[in-house]
Amino acid sequence: MNDNYHIFSDGRIERHNDTVRLVTEDDDKKYLPIENAEALYLHGQIDFNTRLVSFLNEHGIAMHVFGWNDYYSGSIMPERGQTSGQTVVNQVQAYNDATHRIKIAREIVAGSIHNMRSNVTYYNNRGHEFSSIITDLDRCQDELADTTAVDEVMGVEASARRAYYQIFDKVLPNGFVFNGRAYNPPDNKVNSLISFGNSLVYANIVSAIRATALDPTISYLHEPGERRYSLALDLADLFKPLLTDRVIFRLVNRRQLSVDDFESELNSCLLTESGRKTFSKELEQTLEETVEHPELNKKVSYQYLLRVESYKLKKHLLTGEPYEAFKRWW
Amino acid sequence: MAERDIDPVELLLESARSEAANASFHVTGVMMQYYEACERELWFESRNIEINRENPNVVRGTRVDDTAYGDQRQNLSIDGWIAPDMLDDGRIVEVKPSSSLIEPARLQLLYYLWYLDRVVGVKKDGVLAHPTERKRESVELNEEAIDKVESAIRGIYEIVRNDSPPSATEKSYCDSCAYHDFCWSC
Ligand code: SF4
Repeated sequence: MNDNYHIFSDGRIERHNDTVRLVTEDDDKKYLPIENAEALYLHGQIDFNTRLVSFLNEHGIAMHVFGWNDYYSGSIMPERGQTSGQTVVNQVQAYNDATHRIKIAREIVAGSIHNMRSNVTYYNNRGHEFSSIITDLDRCQDELADTTAVDEVMGVEASARRAYYQIFDKVLPNGFVFNGRAYNPPDNKVNSLISFGNSLVYANIVSAIRATALDPTISYLHEPGERRYSLALDLADLFKPLLTDRVIFRLVNRRQLSVDDFESELNSCLLTESGRKTFSKELEQTLEETVEHPELNKKVSYQYLLRVESYKLKKHLLTGEPYEAFKRWW
Repeated sequence: MAERDIDPVELLLESARSEAANASFHVTGVMMQYYEACERELWFESRNIEINRENPNVVRGTRVDDTAYGDQRQNLSIDGWIAPDMLDDGRIVEVKPSSSLIEPARLQLLYYLWYLDRVVGVKKDGVLAHPTERKRESVELNEEAIDKVESAIRGIYEIVRNDSPPSATEKSYCDSCAYHDFCWSC
């Protein structure tokens, strides 16, 4: 269940009887076991038609399209199986109520700072000296309590992330100089890895939100109405340290990714196809890792944690029971 | 609000008898079951909160109910709100996959009998069946049962009109409940 299929080849994807068939440019045919699919990720140049789109819709499967420059281009989402007007009404009410909105926004940032800190302490205990970064993150956590507007909350998030990103230059080997975050297009290897990883995490969260009938465009930390599903942007912040960043550290430090997996043009630096394959494979494996969940009393996969996070938010909005953002507990 | 003064039982009867009732209040068989099993689940159901249909217990529950006595019973859909199953001999049957949820099934069956009596005007007997345990039990609508159903209707009314659900309390069947991960994800 909930498998993601990544397609890197160029060609055509089509409905064939009751399955989905991939026809590559050299006329190779491959069938995808859609019964278990949560989403298809298209990375290559792929054609498809409306028949395929309605077939995926019937099966509740999303299709995320990854382009070249900033990686994620867009999603074709199935209609929600069960819509819930009440959920959307409550989502909007919480957004409109300034006190309520800032509470949720603060909680998301508190979780995301906690999860960054957890990566920092991990390396701090393994021969790096990161105590000043930990202090910075703790200070950000304190400042959060004094925020009175959402853009202040955003500001605290940004300075926490700036402090946190310093560990990248220390943890990663010499060929991977980072020097701070740059977007659209990423200007060096680390930025390229972060952009690619974050867009995969984002697309996974879009799928998780869809499973709960929450409206993905109504958000609390980010402003709704941006080009992307802003609620997925909110929740993605919580999971980037656990998913994107850990995968980067692992792949680069084990030399599974090297300088050959990137290509530079003018002022951009992008992962090659084989680099993207290596990364998505490792991320998929990470999503399947499990952890004992203390409240649910069972093992859950990292991917399921994304679903649980949407449940928690939805429960908070519908019942008024407190929302506590995901904070790595292990 | 004027509806506060009306007895929920009267309100339900009025809603059932006339489409034009100015306040509508309906109770389905499943709501009766949940009222007995878990009031929080009832509140979720009343808000149409999506359940996790991949939960194997939900799938199992549906399958046993659909296949047992398949050829000897007929589903009656009444007013679109209740859908009792009737055996060839005219008795109303309620099938349950296990004996652990017997009381909720009994209340649902009693509600069907009550509804048929009060709204449709036919008196029926009931049978509670557990195919996997090969047991059947007769159920009839006596005074005590009527009280039980009517007080359940009042209880359901109170829960459903509340803005927030009763809080989660751990029960033996939480593990197999479709809302498990929703309730306990904190
Ligand atoms: S998980 Fe337990 S408390 Fe929650 S709705 Fe189900 S039975 Fe009720």
